[in-house]
Amino acid sequence: MTDIPSARPAARCRKMAWRWILLAVFAGASLLLAVGAGSVPIPPLKLLSALFGAGEDNTRELVVGLRLPRVALAFLTGAALAVGGTVMQSVLENPLASPFGLGVSAGAGLGATAVLVTGLSAGTLGAVLLPAAGFAGAMVTVLLVLALARALDRRVSTVTVVLIGMVASLFFSAVMDLMAAMSPEYAQRIGLWQMGSFASRGWRGPAVLAPVLAVCLGVFLSRSGQLDLLTFGDEQARSMGTEPRKNRRFLILAVAVLTGAAVSFSGIIGFVDLIAPHVARRLFGASHRRTLPAGALLGGSFMVLCDLAARTLCAPREIPIGAVTALLGAPFFLWIFFAGRERQ
Amino acid sequence: MLEVKNLSCGYGREKVVKDVSFTLPERGRLAVLGPNGCGKTTLLRGMTGFLPAEGAVTLDGADLLKMSPRERGRAVAELPQASAAWFAYTVMETVLMGRYAHLKPGLFSAPTRADREIAEDAIRRLGLWEERDRPLTRLSGGQLQRVLLARAFAQTPRVILLDEPTNHLDLKYQVELVRELKGWCAQPGHAALGVFHDLDLALNFADLVLLMEGGGAVYFGPADALPPQELSRVFGLDVPAYMRRSRARWERIGG
Repeated sequence: MTDIPSARPAARCRKMAWRWILLAVFAGASLLLAVGAGSVPIPPLKLLSALFGAGEDNTRELVVGLRLPRVALAFLTGAALAVGGTVMQSVLENPLASPFGLGVSAGAGLGATAVLVTGLSAGTLGAVLLPAAGFAGAMVTVLLVLALARALDRRVSTVTVVLIGMVASLFFSAVMDLMAAMSPEYAQRIGLWQMGSFASRGWRGPAVLAPVLAVCLGVFLSRSGQLDLLTFGDEQARSMGTEPRKNRRFLILAVAVLTGAAVSFSGIIGFVDLIAPHVARRLFGASHRRTLPAGALLGGSFMVLCDLAARTLCAPREIPIGAVTALLGAPFFLWIFFAGRERQ
Repeated sequence: MLEVKNLSCGYGREKVVKDVSFTLPERGRLAVLGPNGCGKTTLLRGMTGFLPAEGAVTLDGADLLKMSPRERGRAVAELPQASAAWFAYTVMETVLMGRYAHLKPGLFSAPTRADREIAEDAIRRLGLWEERDRPLTRLSGGQLQRVLLARAFAQTPRVILLDEPTNHLDLKYQVELVRELKGWCAQPGHAALGVFHDLDLALNFADLVLLMEGGGAVYFGPADALPPQELSRVFGLDVPAYMRRSRARWERIGG
């Protein structure tokens, strides 16, 4: 499922370099566009001067205090979900797997919802508790899904894992619905949560998510060779000199940390973790050394643009971000899937 | 060179392979034969420690079951059945993965120029040079199997284990694969062991045979001395008579 033709190596390198440049330009442009556009459009020159600390105070306040943290959170969330999706697909040897499908997102959501309804989310304590509950929910889900998969199927085949993940995902969503029904005062916030939102939360989210993403991305990149091997399945990965079971457990837990952090700030957002890795593999090949950073940039930019659509299309009202990613993502995914299939 | 002593293994408490022993000498080519469910694949999985096993598996005196994953990867390569590839690695990237066990351990380790040359040699050897930048997802089953063999060669192991590698392959590819493997085994310090379904192909490949029945070994010795009555009994079919009839059919077709 890739578009790289059998060109001579030099030509291929040049082509690849161009793709990286275009991707960087695309990411930069979508960030600038998203910061500039909104209820008060800011022209590019004013925007740049505000970003560098010059210009009028109101503009600077709007840019640095409101739009930039929101755009940053959207970008980091998109990047985190894309990186988590890439790794999940590889360790489960299944290009259709994702943290969302595995129930990890729903588990993280449930953890954060539990903090929300108990009223513990307020204040400084909440700032720590919310993402921590997100991690915990994601971790517990992963462990539960893997333990159940092991109990049902000794060899923990990917089909079993994906099926149980689906069941867990639906079940946790139902529990979240139940919590919302039982505590009407939080129902609206929980509802927002289930579809995701980047509505102004200041710099707290980006400040926590950025280091988590950086560390996880570093860990995954340092193991990119191992990830490449794992896509071939346990027996082959093992025969090439790695220990698949132990490594897979570690990698899945790292994905849970990353997804838990992302979900705890912005809610459950689907499809980005499925699509971004696909597009990254198509454009840059399957090797994780390239897929991981490319997927992060693509997922981040895609999320920023989706959030832009979410807050401008029906302004002053906002469309839930999860609805936007699903509306764009579902047909897009079908298109890549069938386009890829046709050519095989 | 490779010595398997009283090996028993299985899934959970149930032992599928029971007390199997044999020795594979340098440059040896061993075919494991037996009817479905007799434990051939389980034997391979036990030999590499993929399944928990009792007994001993030693390669030149070193315990294979106690090796680190990397040590084992440098000693033994496996050629699996190629069905389909899910991820679009190029042929070159895939063959280069065979060098994983030889990379300097540690994070961010990358293949060196020497690794690359070994991979390129393996690719040329299997006639895949023109395909080196193509993604696996666009290869035919025969090409994919050759890529995996190139990867096994690039691993520069001492022993290659094969698990019904020729299933789903056209006759031409089966014959080519066996020829490549025999060529590899002819080099000093090499040996191969394969599970085969096709008896004819197995005898084309092997100079040694391990005949299995119900998880145990009923014959181990030179392929030429394989007792026909044992073969027929284990498979529940008069194998030599079947082969003779088959040959007569081909003689009629060939004129």
